[in-house]
Amino acid sequence: MGSEPLSRRHFLAGSGSFAALVGSPLLRAGLPGLVAFSASACTARDEGAAFEVLGAAEAREFEAIAARILPTTDTPGAREAGVIWFMDKSFGSIMKDNLESAREGLAEFQSGVAAAWPGAKVFSDLDENEQDRYLQTQEETDFFGFVRFATIAGFFGMSSYGGNRDNVGWKLLGLDGQHHAWQAPFGHYDAEYMRGEQNDA
Amino acid sequence: MTPENQVRFDPASTVDFVIVGSGSAGGILAKELSTAGFDVVVLEQGPFRTAADFTHDEIAVAFLHELLGGGPEIHQQTFRDDESQVAVVPGRVQPAEYVQGVGGSSVHFTGNFWRFRDVDFRERSLLGPIDGTTFADWPIDYAELEPYYTRVDWEIGVSGSPGPFDPPRSKPFPMPPMPVKSSGVLLERGANKLGLHAQPAPLAILSQPFNDRPPCINCGYCMGFGCEVGAKSSTLAAMIPLALASGHCEIRPECAVFRLETGANGKIGNVVYYDPDGKETSQKARAVVLAANGVETPRLLLNSASPRYPDGLANSSGFVGRNLMLNAHALANGVFEHTLNDYKGVQVTRIIHDFYDSDPARGFYGGGGLDARPLFSATPIFFALAGTPTDGPSWGAGYKQTLAHNFSRQMSILCSTTSLALDRNNITIDPTHKDKWGRPSLRMTYKDHPDDLAMAGFLLDKAMELFDAAGAEKAWAYPIGGTTGGAHLLGTCRMGDDPQTSVVDRYHRSHDISNLFICDGSSFVTSGRGQPTMTIMALAFRAAEHIARAAKANEV
Repeated sequence: MGSEPLSRRHFLAGSGSFAALVGSPLLRAGLPGLVAFSASACTARDEGAAFEVLGAAEAREFEAIAARILPTTDTPGAREAGVIWFMDKSFGSIMKDNLESAREGLAEFQSGVAAAWPGAKVFSDLDENEQDRYLQTQEETDFFGFVRFATIAGFFGMSSYGGNRDNVGWKLLGLDGQHHAWQAPFGHYDAEYMRGEQNDA
Repeated sequence: MTPENQVRFDPASTVDFVIVGSGSAGGILAKELSTAGFDVVVLEQGPFRTAADFTHDEIAVAFLHELLGGGPEIHQQTFRDDESQVAVVPGRVQPAEYVQGVGGSSVHFTGNFWRFRDVDFRERSLLGPIDGTTFADWPIDYAELEPYYTRVDWEIGVSGSPGPFDPPRSKPFPMPPMPVKSSGVLLERGANKLGLHAQPAPLAILSQPFNDRPPCINCGYCMGFGCEVGAKSSTLAAMIPLALASGHCEIRPECAVFRLETGANGKIGNVVYYDPDGKETSQKARAVVLAANGVETPRLLLNSASPRYPDGLANSSGFVGRNLMLNAHALANGVFEHTLNDYKGVQVTRIIHDFYDSDPARGFYGGGGLDARPLFSATPIFFALAGTPTDGPSWGAGYKQTLAHNFSRQMSILCSTTSLALDRNNITIDPTHKDKWGRPSLRMTYKDHPDDLAMAGFLLDKAMELFDAAGAEKAWAYPIGGTTGGAHLLGTCRMGDDPQTSVVDRYHRSHDISNLFICDGSSFVTSGRGQPTMTIMALAFRAAEHIARAAKANEV
């Protein structure tokens, strides 16, 4: 890795800023642009429409990576959340400026797969154990950091962005949809406190 | 959306005041001066949002920087550690973070409203000089400012109850504190075991209906988000409606000021800005009040350099932009056996001020406070990106399991400290970068004083002790790194009696230009202990009183 187009200015790991990543063209268009984007993202995901930006092969690769970052376990993972739909829509909008770099990153990522598994064409051809072993070698790359970020944003963002289908991301955390109001007690310890239990347990 | 029925002034006519900025200080100054009968035009570079415009959309707000008017690529702020480096535009978050919009950063703040104490105003006299710094006393003291802190409590709206170390107050809090959360209970539990004193957090968030505004509904989206019900005490919620109702205040949103023009008499006569269509226009005024924040105010003064004022306006001292203070921070996270559900409710409900005063026995200068809050575990994306244990997996089934287990059981202790004033820490004009309007960008140069970092480390050790005492199953601390930006933008046009070492006098009037007043975080002489907005607002109430008096006496 380390190619210039995949510099940290474009790809971030950890707690970076989406705007730095995507150049934020929708921001310049203003909120109505976001609303329109969100509506179309939902419609595409729910109706199983064709991808707008990604080709089927590259979509399969991005989805395969996302599905190992947040795998399907006893609860839904990135695949069930529709993260790939978030990615597709975002590559046409809020991550538009990153599409070219992402494709270059994917090509380099895939060349590593081919080198490690002669005969295997692409990452999604590998079994899950092989995929995990390969991803462990990619953890420090900018490309992996970018896909991790996009996976998390697609899994936990509002479903109007195309992912987080049926709010499965929020349900994983214990959030039942997006409530707008709560009242005390909120948790175990403040409930104890409200009952007058001594706070030195 | 700008109210259609607000008063309109002709830019070619001369209004009494132009106020640049509508945030924590500007919103109060607008209300105070307009309700006193002066004709006021407020120029705000961001839009006029209302409570109905605010959402829980984490992608738009936290990652697309909707309220900030965009990210680094838009504003092109640059950063460097010291003057030997070429400053660059950071790739992730911009160095100085502030809301562009009516209400300014009071719209997205967390609402921690700590008063300064007497020590904050005269610590230089109490402790003596510190080599290599511009550590100084304020020209005013706590007693002078106390009535205005009380006005903030009662006119802006602050909930709370007194703590054991609080400075004297002339009136009680107008409403009780917000209900304690599990994070607050656990901080208090740890404090009790360690012999420390956790106290209810004073917050600029309403716990009861107040001044025709509704109370908080505990939605949990305070930090970084706008309040959808108007319970957060921003100037947008508390002051702007009163200013508009006066019939003497016009708010002009999306108007980006880029130059202050002086006349033959050396006074400012014209404030020049780009209107919403990008067209250059100007407004004449008897006097100008800069309340654009601690980085935009010095930037505008420096960008207004002219043959008469080659080093920028109001800068005969050379102190414009100097002595930037950001407050240092440290952070630890803890996970507990039972659910906290700290994503519900306000961020902070308990604080610890046992270490507020500087203690020579520690071997370094500094003081600070600790607070309990969800921080990462307030919102899903932020938590998943950065909130999980640093020694655990960051992807895969184990990572997913950690997310599911920890989100409802995790909290943070945030440590906030003093920053020493240093000449080397400053705001200057970047020689190459420009923002989206074409205005030369601000360049931040900043490196913490070693004592600031030592104090952060001292408090971080206390945070870990608190987690242990409170019974955390797991706790981890983040390494203390140098500060590379912040939201507390302080000290860059400091107030003082000596024109050689300060930019404004004790009444916020420029030493150099008699019809220029400056009131925002830039007026600070010391940084306080990490929660400056209460003091910015108190200064604004006090400044407005003096500015109005001077204007009525025709002394501007």
